[in-house]
Amino acid sequence: MSKDVLVIGGGIAGIQASLDLADMGIKVHLVERLPSIGGKMAQLDKTFPTNDCAI
Amino acid sequence: MLDVGRHPNIRLLAYSELEKIEGEAGNFKATVRRKARYVEEDKCTGCGACKEKCPTVVPDSFNEGLGTRKAIYSYFAQGIPSTHTIDPDHCRQLNGKKCGVCAKTCQAKAINFEQKDRIVEIQVGSIIVAAGYDVFDPKSIPEYRYGEIPNVVTAIEFERLLSASGPTSGHLDRPSDRALEAELEEVEKKVERSRKALDKYEEKYGEKSIDFITKFRAGQYGDDSDKAKWAEKYEEFLPLEKSYEDLKQKVSGITVAKRLAFVQCVGSRDFRFYPFCSGYCCMHSIKEAIIAHEHERETASTIFGMDIRAVGKGFEEYKIRGGNHSNITYVRGRVAEITEGPGRNPVVTYEDTKERKVKSQEFDMVILATACAPTRGIAELAKTLGVELDKYNFIKTSPLSPVDTTVPGIFVCGCAQAPMDVPESVAQASSAAARAAEIAFQSDLEKERAVAC
Ligand SMILES: Cc1cc2nc3c(=O)[nH]c(=O)nc-3n(C[C@H](O)[C@H](O)[C@H](O)COP(=O)(O)OP(=O)(O)OC[C@H]3O[C@@H](n4cnc5c(N)ncnc54)[C@H](O)[C@@H]3O)c2cc1C
Ligand code: SF4
Ligand code: SF4
Repeated sequence: MSKDVLVIGGGIAGIQASLDLADMGIKVHLVERLPSIGGKMAQLDKTFPTNDCAI
Repeated sequence: MLDVGRHPNIRLLAYSELEKIEGEAGNFKATVRRKARYVEEDKCTGCGACKEKCPTVVPDSFNEGLGTRKAIYSYFAQGIPSTHTIDPDHCRQLNGKKCGVCAKTCQAKAINFEQKDRIVEIQVGSIIVAAGYDVFDPKSIPEYRYGEIPNVVTAIEFERLLSASGPTSGHLDRPSDRALEAELEEVEKKVERSRKALDKYEEKYGEKSIDFITKFRAGQYGDDSDKAKWAEKYEEFLPLEKSYEDLKQKVSGITVAKRLAFVQCVGSRDFRFYPFCSGYCCMHSIKEAIIAHEHERETASTIFGMDIRAVGKGFEEYKIRGGNHSNITYVRGRVAEITEGPGRNPVVTYEDTKERKVKSQEFDMVILATACAPTRGIAELAKTLGVELDKYNFIKTSPLSPVDTTVPGIFVCGCAQAPMDVPESVAQASSAAARAAEIAFQSDLEKERAVAC
């Protein structure tokens, strides 16, 4: 049995899932097909409903 | 994002793709292809010296093609990891031409044109699919003329135009105006080159081209071949200079876009494409209109939609605030067609369902709120994983277990499951993480039991 988790996709969803698991002490392998993580959210100027900066 | 790069429990495999999955919940073996970046990850410091010198300029996909990058690049400035990547489709060296400028520039000796894809195998107990979505391609709706009328853009392109780190540094420069400016720059270069050639003759013969040409045309120089060449160069120069002056005139009249139209449900709630509501687009149109107004107080936006779906905590208030403080008008009606009027201004024809009239209105720019489409490659990924897709090609789940796929031990979150906004994606991600953790802790329990026996 392995304890590790494979996360496919490094957008905001994959990032959040990875951080949650990593903080629980579980080893995560995060696979992203583009050169950097961030997904669509990294392309957004600001996000509703707070208009905070996206990155 | 930075935390992901730094966390000791996260192994980041960027620029990589899943090739194969074997086994079952608690015991999967994943095969991952780490694509060659032609840059050594452990040596590259992300300094960016290479891309300054690289001579190859290509459209920048992070900026939706509205800006340019080099053949060696970082996906975006704050990208994690900061390792640079050589684009094998465009790099001169990798396409058999002589270059290697980046390798000469890199102090860290990180460039490696011989690098190959590497295959890594990983043993995991569970898998979370967070492969996201793609923006619907509005070219499928010919009556909106996206791609034909330059000032009709998608909402994600508009995000890049609004961004201070984007291709226009946050100025709402219209694509047609940017093309005009680029043309002016091109013509200016040509005029300069042409001028230089004339300068040589003027120096040689101690005469201005304009005086020379009158005499030449009057036949004063007979068949002197050097003079004939000079005349030829001057005849080429004249129309160039004229088009340069005309363009300069046009460019001087350019202002930023101030009259904006947002078209809702482009591909969503449309039985020709996706019958579902993409959920976040009403909100992002309001957001973009608010930000545009923050940049330029004279900006006025009209949002055309069947209805504005502001479903979520604080969302309705956001919509009303936009209307009251950010010059937004909400029009209930579906846009039938977009055409181009004078001054490259898009004209929106729509049915005003309140007044029951078909109307047309001219804008500086039109922004299409495109549907949330399944991400490209999702069918292959689902096949590799053995999970089922729903009829639209999102990952199939059931209402009471919204993060469980059809394969035990494989979970899903975010827009790979269905269209949703960031807060929902984050909530679902935490939920999927909890489901994956159950399997991880079960594995711990079993190990403990094995020791106890
Ligand atoms: C114009 C626009 C504006 C928006 N504004 C807002 C806003 O202000 N507020 C808000 O809450 N929401 C907003 N949204 C919605 C928001 O973008 C999504 O909710 C969010 O990005 C979903 O995150 P995700 O991680 O599920 O998907 P994505 O961001 O799409 O991330 C998926 C990641 O997975 C990677 N990937 C895909 N396939 C594979 C594969 N086979 N292998 C490895 N990696 C893969 C992708 O490269 C990507 O990095 C907006 C959307 C648009 C279009
Ligand atoms: S490849 Fe070299 S020059 Fe380019 S960013 Fe990395 S360390 Fe800097
Ligand atoms: S070899 Fe030349 S073209 Fe290729 S990335 Fe390096 S500098 Fe750019």
